[in-house]
Amino acid sequence: MHLAFPSRKTSNPPQYLPSRTPRFPTLRRSRVQAFVVGALVVGAVLWLISSISGGGERIPSGTPPVVIVTVVDEESYGQAYVKNVKENRREYAKRHGYTTFFPSVGDYDLGGSPVSWAKVPACRHAITKFPHTTYIWYLDQNSFIMNPELKVESHIMEKKRLESLMIKNQPIVPPDSVIKTWPHLKGENIEFALTQDKDGLAQGSFIVRRGEWAKFFLDTWFDPLYRSYNFQKADTHALEHIVQWHPTILSKLVLIPQRTLNAYNPAYYDAKEGQYTDGDFVVRFAGCDTVGRDCIKEAEPFSKQWRTIFYAR
Amino acid sequence: MSLSRSPSPRPGGGWASPGLSSPYVDVSGRSSPANGYRGSSKGNSVTWESAKAKSEGVNGYPSFSTQNHGFFNRHMRTLSNSLPRFSGGPGKSYAEKEKLGRGRWMARPGTRMAKMQSFVRNVPRRWWMRLLGVLALILMIILFYVTPLHYYWRRAKHIGGGKKHVIILAANQGGGVMEWKGPREWAIERDSVRNKRKYANRWGYELEIVDMSTKKRYAHEWRESWEKVDTIRNCLRKYPDAEWFWWMDLNTFIMEPSYSLQSHIFNNLAANTYRDINDYNPLNISHPFPSTYLDADARSPVGDGKPESINLVVPQDCSGFNLGSFFIKRSAWTDRLLDVWWDPVGYEQKHMEWEHKEQDALEFLYINQPWIRPHTAFIPQRKINSFPPGACSENGNDTRIHYNEHDRDFVVNMAGCEWGRDCWGEMYNYRELSNYLNRTLWELFKEELIAPLWFKITGHKVRL
Repeated sequence: MHLAFPSRKTSNPPQYLPSRTPRFPTLRRSRVQAFVVGALVVGAVLWLISSISGGGERIPSGTPPVVIVTVVDEESYGQAYVKNVKENRREYAKRHGYTTFFPSVGDYDLGGSPVSWAKVPACRHAITKFPHTTYIWYLDQNSFIMNPELKVESHIMEKKRLESLMIKNQPIVPPDSVIKTWPHLKGENIEFALTQDKDGLAQGSFIVRRGEWAKFFLDTWFDPLYRSYNFQKADTHALEHIVQWHPTILSKLVLIPQRTLNAYNPAYYDAKEGQYTDGDFVVRFAGCDTVGRDCIKEAEPFSKQWRTIFYAR
Repeated sequence: MSLSRSPSPRPGGGWASPGLSSPYVDVSGRSSPANGYRGSSKGNSVTWESAKAKSEGVNGYPSFSTQNHGFFNRHMRTLSNSLPRFSGGPGKSYAEKEKLGRGRWMARPGTRMAKMQSFVRNVPRRWWMRLLGVLALILMIILFYVTPLHYYWRRAKHIGGGKKHVIILAANQGGGVMEWKGPREWAIERDSVRNKRKYANRWGYELEIVDMSTKKRYAHEWRESWEKVDTIRNCLRKYPDAEWFWWMDLNTFIMEPSYSLQSHIFNNLAANTYRDINDYNPLNISHPFPSTYLDADARSPVGDGKPESINLVVPQDCSGFNLGSFFIKRSAWTDRLLDVWWDPVGYEQKHMEWEHKEQDALEFLYINQPWIRPHTAFIPQRKINSFPPGACSENGNDTRIHYNEHDRDFVVNMAGCEWGRDCWGEMYNYRELSNYLNRTLWELFKEELIAPLWFKITGHKVRL
């Protein structure tokens, strides 16, 4: 017996093969590594730059953070009155870097519905004209800004401030409607701030955050079926209607104390809360356009007052 | 076994010590003792003498023999010659035998077996590796499709994406308090549900079958047939992973289950849909919005033009939007649309006019509320909602509307078949047509090859 011999070498040896060469000679391993590392570094730098310069929406510099919208009616109120109103807004806006927008009632096709509806397309128009602004503040023509020191952001719309102002569990239509404002809203989710007077929602002065929600809300409010429905108080009741029926609107809405945004002239308003006192942000002559009252006359004392306050310093 | 005495020979022969004599003496209890040498007289014990004689080599041959002993010894040569050879054939020298065979099996040279063997041996190693790779691939494909693996693969969120699609099938429409279902209605429901279920299982989609029977809570709220909205809202909540929701009426049939929603529509949403309603505008809606105060997106005919902004995909038939088969995407926009879709003020003013209820309401919203348009897209009707010849038939057959089997349309919607047409008949026909169009290879072989041959040979038609 013998153990197996080591196998013989083959008698036809394989032809000489060079050592394996890479298919792409320029792509040596070291170069590939350098390339990958370089790409990673460049990517990281780009990412850093983009994150520093702020992702998401790019807001051009010089964009006013707030646009004050007032629909003016020169035909019914006269040029002097309207000029005074415009000057009041402009002076205020100038102090804080805001801007103003004064369309007139005839600018929009309302399809024969009451002119108070014009505020809705006016706000939509403001979004179009100032596509990067943060807030649209609609302030009715029959009102004055009385405190030039207050900023819209710090006085109302800042997250913490808004949460402290927020009126929770408040019936939308006082005194006892079934639908109430939400008890657990967060400041950052709020798109729409307005006040309530003794009759219900007061849409003479409201602030809406520009965005997709604002477009949706304004378009819904402006639906021709609401305009043709003969709501007793036109846009006011339409607003109360959509707020109560559509949770996507109610969940973005916050009610704030009336005097923070919408104090009424005490001479004509007898509710306990909401009467204008000195230092309040805004005074409004709500209902002065009804029969038997005169807006120009009601505005006169406040017209002098706002000038003295504004030009005191 | 311990030795209690010192070993010493016994007078009769053998050893006194049992330990030494144990293999030979019957002390260990062996029944078949080892055979002693031939000279031993007793056989089962080795005597002193016999051992001595053996060691002196006097006693002839040893007891075992290697020659001519036993069957195999005698027949070895014949047996081995009849066996297959394990070394080279005749004519090979010993050395060559060593080299080639090495004791392995080899076919006789010149035979087919041998040619085959040499061929196999000559195939280079890398070819073997490639062949192995191909075989492994085939095996893996078979494993993938035979096991439920492909189902989970297609469902997975980031791979197949099946979980991102929900089919909402409205069953029992108008049933309940309004009318009882007969056998035909049951058959329609059974077929339609089975069709959707098969499709959903094939691609890993979710299927939600909703009972649309008219309910009292809608009847008293004036909300009949707005349940669609509530149903979609419930599904949004029920399937938090889902992105696209496909609403289907009961009278629909998926004709081509081999189309996935991804490949058919969503992978290229921009090309498969059109944003500008002027491309096909049966309602004559003026588009884009004429109002100048609107923003650029709302006034553009195509919104922002990006497919990501599409949240609603609706087909249009001959008379406007058709909500028998449409897609809606999870988004804040969708929440808002579903919220304002039904409104009591609109309902109160329009419910006599809006005979298609939620469909007319959507058209109204599209026409009047600018925020809707930038996120709505239309899809050519035959992509997801082909009509049978009976529907929209006023102007004859329209290639934009009606089903064409040569184009292999995806879905048939037997819209309006409950108004004077035969729903079950149409459903049955389309089911059979779908089966016919989507025959497997085996069925094609049977029906296209064997059956006609059989008919030629025997003259009898046969169903295989």
